[in-house]
Amino acid sequence: MPAGHEQNLHQDGLRKPWATIGVFLLPSLAIYAAFTAYPAVRTIWNSFHRVLPRSDEPVGLANYAELMRDEIFWRSVRNTITWACTSPLVEVSVALLLALALYAKVPGARFFRVAWFTPVLMSYVVVGILWLWIYNFDWGPVNVALRALGLGSWAKPWLGDPNTALPALIFVTSWMWVGFNMVVLLAALHSLPREVLEAAELDNCGWGGKLVFVILPLIRATLLNLVVLSFIGKMKIFDLVWITTKGNPLWATETVSTYVYKRAFEWTTFDLGYPSTIAALWFVIVLGSVLTLTWLFRLRQKLEY
Amino acid sequence: MTMAALKRAALLLLLSLYTAFAAGPFVWAAMLSLRTTTEIHRNHFAPPNPAHWDKFAEAWFTSNYGVYFTNSTQVVVSAVVILTLVGSMAAHCLARYRFRFNRVIYFVLFSTIIFPPQITIISLFQILVQYGLYNSKLGLTLVYVAIQLPLTIYLLESFFARIPSDLFDAARIDGYSDWEIFWRVSLPIALPAVATTVILNFILLWNEFLYAVVLITEEANRTLPLGIQRFIGDTQEDVGMIATGLMIAIIPVVVVYAFFSERLIQGMTAGAVK
Repeated sequence: MPAGHEQNLHQDGLRKPWATIGVFLLPSLAIYAAFTAYPAVRTIWNSFHRVLPRSDEPVGLANYAELMRDEIFWRSVRNTITWACTSPLVEVSVALLLALALYAKVPGARFFRVAWFTPVLMSYVVVGILWLWIYNFDWGPVNVALRALGLGSWAKPWLGDPNTALPALIFVTSWMWVGFNMVVLLAALHSLPREVLEAAELDNCGWGGKLVFVILPLIRATLLNLVVLSFIGKMKIFDLVWITTKGNPLWATETVSTYVYKRAFEWTTFDLGYPSTIAALWFVIVLGSVLTLTWLFRLRQKLEY
Repeated sequence: MTMAALKRAALLLLLSLYTAFAAGPFVWAAMLSLRTTTEIHRNHFAPPNPAHWDKFAEAWFTSNYGVYFTNSTQVVVSAVVILTLVGSMAAHCLARYRFRFNRVIYFVLFSTIIFPPQITIISLFQILVQYGLYNSKLGLTLVYVAIQLPLTIYLLESFFARIPSDLFDAARIDGYSDWEIFWRVSLPIALPAVATTVILNFILLWNEFLYAVVLITEEANRTLPLGIQRFIGDTQEDVGMIATGLMIAIIPVVVVYAFFSERLIQGMTAGAVK
């Protein structure tokens, strides 16, 4: 928080014009209450009911009990967590290498930066269709390139094979987000204090040493933020799967989000209670894991300093 | 010396390869969008020669992309306008006034950033059905305002808080009311930050899919991402026309990016660097 912040609050606060405060905050709070807080509470209420179009019927913990035995759900949890744990590491480490390359004053750095950022501007719908084509068995660039290199036996329908479908989609999200992470890291690198880096050079510290002992500790907070941000994004993933595989083949790419959608709006059970149960449990898992992650990172920081 | 030059050349080559990998799919889609499906099936990687610009007119008029585009524009523009006004009012208030629960309100609004959308989406469906807002652009607009509000307030609050308080004291001595201070002092100074949130919200909502797919089913109200999804469902094989549709969805974003890339990158990175 900037230094002037507290002081500003203090000076204006002497008057406490509640009416004014109300006018400024009311629209936001009303929207928040109607479209975020109330629906969230209602979802949790739903999770203890059977919710049919015309009637609600309390069922206690029955939905939760069923969820524990639901193998498709646990499969989707496994897929989503695999995604959320691998993607951030790939994205952030590749991004770090690229950011360091640009930081080393390569000609055309500005151009590279702008070009690498573009994938993140496209919607998952657009990206999904593009990669459906890229992975196409007959004419997709991946298989065309493999055949051209004489590796035709490696060519396969990447999204149709249960063993490769999930890794192939994880690869797509990494392709999309590396540029974003790179730009953030580059900004962090550029904000490093010159003196420290120069001091390291005077001490005859090589590039590797400078990276490990000086740069990485200094941008550590940014690195961890990016990991958490990417983790949260992958725990929510829906669009890309929905456009490309819809969870197929054989639940290999089913994520929690797509499963909730299917149970709520595609399966002909017409019950909104059970999918709400998935949503409620997932909400707790996401919140819990984000809090644990940030807590772990804090703890390590304390131990080290 | 030559060793250093060699290293530099290798590095440049590597970076260029990565650039081709990052931007290649986009360039490929642009090429496909100007070719007919018959041409494409002859060779998937040939340049568009001749370029079929008329495919854009065909997509716009006969494949209904004109309707999707108009819907997207209506929903996104009105959501962004409401967001900017409502969000900056709240951000100004939270940054400027000291009152009980200030930080609590800030934290409550902000923490929704990490909510998975499922926690609200099923009930939002029920609620919008109840109030006759299901399958309407108005309903989708309001939901869009709600989902982008936390990020908007977060970005603007941190900017508003940095405006020196002397300015406000001076304005107050000049007899400005609270509203005038917001409208004629805070907002004009914060214009760069406001612009950043406008661009960011525009792009994120333009690309939004999950809420749209749940809350809109009628053809006449479909936004672009939904239109594209319907189109691939109907015409799996018509690669050429699908590519044209993709470009119609991408072009506005690319135009915005071309003009405001620095500002946008700033906005998207601001949250992550802190």
